[in-house]
Amino acid sequence: MRIIIVGGGEIGFELSRELSRDHSLTVVDTDAEVRQRFDALDVEFLGGSGTSADVLQRADVAGADLLIACTGLDEVNMVSCAIAKRLGAARTICFVSRDDFLGREGSVDSVREHFGIERIIWPEAQLAEEIERIVAAPGAIDAEVFAGGRIRLLEFRLEAGSPLTTAPLSALHLPRGALIVAVKRRDTIEIPRGDTRLSPGDKIFVMGTPDAVGEVVPRIWGDEHRPATQLVTIIGGGDVGFRLAQRLDAASGVELRVIERDQRRGEMLAATLRRALVLNGDGTDLELLEAEEIGRSDVLVSVIDNDERNLFASLLGRQLGVRRIITRVSRPANMRLFERVGIDVALSARGAAVGSIVHQIQGGRAHLLALLEEGQATIVEIAVPPAFRPRALMEMKAPPQSIVGAILRGTDVIIPRGPDQIRPQDRLIVFAAANSVGPVRDYFGTA
Amino acid sequence: MRLPVVIHTIGAFLRFFSIAFVVPMLVAEYYGERRDALVFLGTGIGSAVVGYLMTRTRRSRTEDLKRVEGLAIVATSWILLSWSAAVPYLFAGMGPIDAMFESMSGLTTTGATVMRDFGDYGRGLFLWRSLTQWFGGMGVIALFVAVLPRLGIGGRQLFFAEAPGPTDEKLTPHIRQTAKLLWSVYAGLTAAQFVALTAAGMPVFDSACHSLTTLAAGGFSPHPLSIAGYDQPLVQWIIIFFMFAAGANFALHYRTLRGELRAFPKDEEFRAYLGIIALSTLLLVIFLRPEVPGLLDRLRHGLFQTLTILTTTGYASTDFQLWNDQARMVLFALMFIGGCAGSAAGGPKIVRQVLIARYTLIELRRTLHPRGVLPVKLGGRVVPDEVMRGVLVFFLFYLLVFAVCTMIVSALGLDLITAITASIACLGNIGPGLNAVGPMANFADLHPVSKIVLTAAMWIGRLEVLTVLALLRPEVWRLATFTQPRE
Repeated sequence: MRIIIVGGGEIGFELSRELSRDHSLTVVDTDAEVRQRFDALDVEFLGGSGTSADVLQRADVAGADLLIACTGLDEVNMVSCAIAKRLGAARTICFVSRDDFLGREGSVDSVREHFGIERIIWPEAQLAEEIERIVAAPGAIDAEVFAGGRIRLLEFRLEAGSPLTTAPLSALHLPRGALIVAVKRRDTIEIPRGDTRLSPGDKIFVMGTPDAVGEVVPRIWGDEHRPATQLVTIIGGGDVGFRLAQRLDAASGVELRVIERDQRRGEMLAATLRRALVLNGDGTDLELLEAEEIGRSDVLVSVIDNDERNLFASLLGRQLGVRRIITRVSRPANMRLFERVGIDVALSARGAAVGSIVHQIQGGRAHLLALLEEGQATIVEIAVPPAFRPRALMEMKAPPQSIVGAILRGTDVIIPRGPDQIRPQDRLIVFAAANSVGPVRDYFGTA
Repeated sequence: MRLPVVIHTIGAFLRFFSIAFVVPMLVAEYYGERRDALVFLGTGIGSAVVGYLMTRTRRSRTEDLKRVEGLAIVATSWILLSWSAAVPYLFAGMGPIDAMFESMSGLTTTGATVMRDFGDYGRGLFLWRSLTQWFGGMGVIALFVAVLPRLGIGGRQLFFAEAPGPTDEKLTPHIRQTAKLLWSVYAGLTAAQFVALTAAGMPVFDSACHSLTTLAAGGFSPHPLSIAGYDQPLVQWIIIFFMFAAGANFALHYRTLRGELRAFPKDEEFRAYLGIIALSTLLLVIFLRPEVPGLLDRLRHGLFQTLTILTTTGYASTDFQLWNDQARMVLFALMFIGGCAGSAAGGPKIVRQVLIARYTLIELRRTLHPRGVLPVKLGGRVVPDEVMRGVLVFFLFYLLVFAVCTMIVSALGLDLITAITASIACLGNIGPGLNAVGPMANFADLHPVSKIVLTAAMWIGRLEVLTVLALLRPEVWRLATFTQPRE
């Protein structure tokens, strides 16, 4: 595949590293100095503007299968996609960081159509959305939603004394509509069976309808009582922090605090948010954190645009007694370090965006819904082909390390058990370990 | 400040204002009051001549009107117009102080009267009284801005000097156009009320007078017993509706008429307006149980008196001076609130009270979170610090003027409740107060100095205090000049 990447920054570089082995890449950037970074990779580098038709033609845009615009400027990215489309690029992907070009009633689709963009990627918004999902699921350390919110996937860490560790899975009698699809023990992911016994320290992945999953949650925590409203503290009111604050501000059952260092940014936040308390100060200022009793927060979200300060703020939060800490990581290399020192969730906006593009390019037709545990496991949606012979789940010789988490049939959602049938035209939400995705696709003939 | 510019502009206003005397002249003639008709004719001609002489002063372009000139023009023209409007009262037998009081009470839509016996005066004069309120309700300057084309850009300053609310709702970018729209909504509602009252059986002359003074939130009535003199619940309900409309923001009326149905419900001030009305009516319905037996009657009087005081109209559907102390306390509290900004109502205005309440609550919260960023918001927008400061300063000055006025009036021989309510009733342009200045009483027996002080209070209150008080600064007059700098 011939791919043009406009923008040689962090994202452009990550993409090039992931894609240069299997595809022929041309990187376009106005700043000739970033060229040396790309010398180590097998890519063509072109100095010039991605909004110049001339430069794009030199990059043979007409023959390109894909153009990815990922400079730091939304305007440049959008114009670049529009020009590339006009010059004959097959598909375009555009990175954006703001949403004000949408207008109040504007839809993403109309903007996409207007600028000839196939896909808009919005790393900060996606990160904010992801954090919101985690915050909205009390007790969960990670959360995803699928099928327009009809299916949820929550990740929990089991603690000593959890009722789920008292008996093998088959004897736990989980509510119909909820399924433990995977267990992560130490660093390996396995699909549990009826005789699997959970133990403290395991991370479990529960998939199901929102109601059923909601019933499971109290059984994970045992007698522990969860407060009705959560006190959420966000440190850093930047792009991600602001977007997250806007979403949580509108949510019920959340009392929100935002700590922002910059006075004028703080004023903007206070002007926009209706209920949240905006504090002007440094998230690493222990005196402020203590005076405002940040230690009593149920969730601390640290989304400063600086890994070191994020880590520091999160560790302070932990010292003050915050239970759940969600931290943004900018450099993918820091991710593992963060989790090792006790941060529950470390998330990377760019990492997730790059991962989803790489998967889109290399993953074929089955639709990727989510990457979990740094790519160790994936959730894919598979459309069952019309020729498929209906059969019960337990009769199927499905590939190991995979499990059908949900069946979408018309408007119904079925969380399957052994006897449930899979029929043609069903759409399946499948949880699979990374090395099983291929076999799963092969099995259903959708590769 | 260039005095020729000021004098010229005021002269132009006066000249235009003289046309208004035609209306009472015709009415007086129609009812056979020939002498009164001649008085109106003479006053009109006299005003026109004086106005013409004033416009003879050398005039520079008014486009570059300075701020202080705008304030001076607005403040002084209100005085001069009230003098012009007072002439017919003089000829009807009032003393000069009484005539000025009655005239200022009309133009500022206060509605306080010094008339003892209504039988002494002709119909032309009653119509004139109502008409002055109608001009004053939407603002005479706003009217001039709407119809006098030569004001140009300076009109903007004049418009906001007359109605310096904390929010400047602009319907169109052109102030002339905005003033026109507001005046046409105002005139339209007045006409609607006239039709409704006539249809409900009120005599045509009375309907006209009441329509003019209801929409203006004025309160003059040709009937000595005010609205209580028409013992028809339907009439009172109609007036309740139009008082309610007069107390709401006219820009929102216009937008609603244009089909923007959510304009009213979305407005925070309007919601507060509804809330205050509901609470006050409820309290009156409870407190009035001994006085008014029927629930529906209690509701009608409660609602009527709430609106008449809150919108600063000042009618009476019954003699509320006879009510018990709890009920009168409710009315007294309403006197300090006023109607919505951009309405015909006077008083401190609801939006200011909302802002002050929010500011206070936020300061309480700041003691708990010293590092909190806690802006005052209105309608989802942050209120800038200087606007908030303006509101606080306004209210401070308002209370100061109220206190000084009360002390003077009280020192000149009134009991405390009369002094307090007379002061706030004039400063807030409401009209009747309690005790000796209650709804069925009048201001005629007050000490002449009290009358002058209260006349000044009406003027200061109508122009929202700061426009007038700013002119008391010595530098304003030190820099006043008759010669014009060369351009």
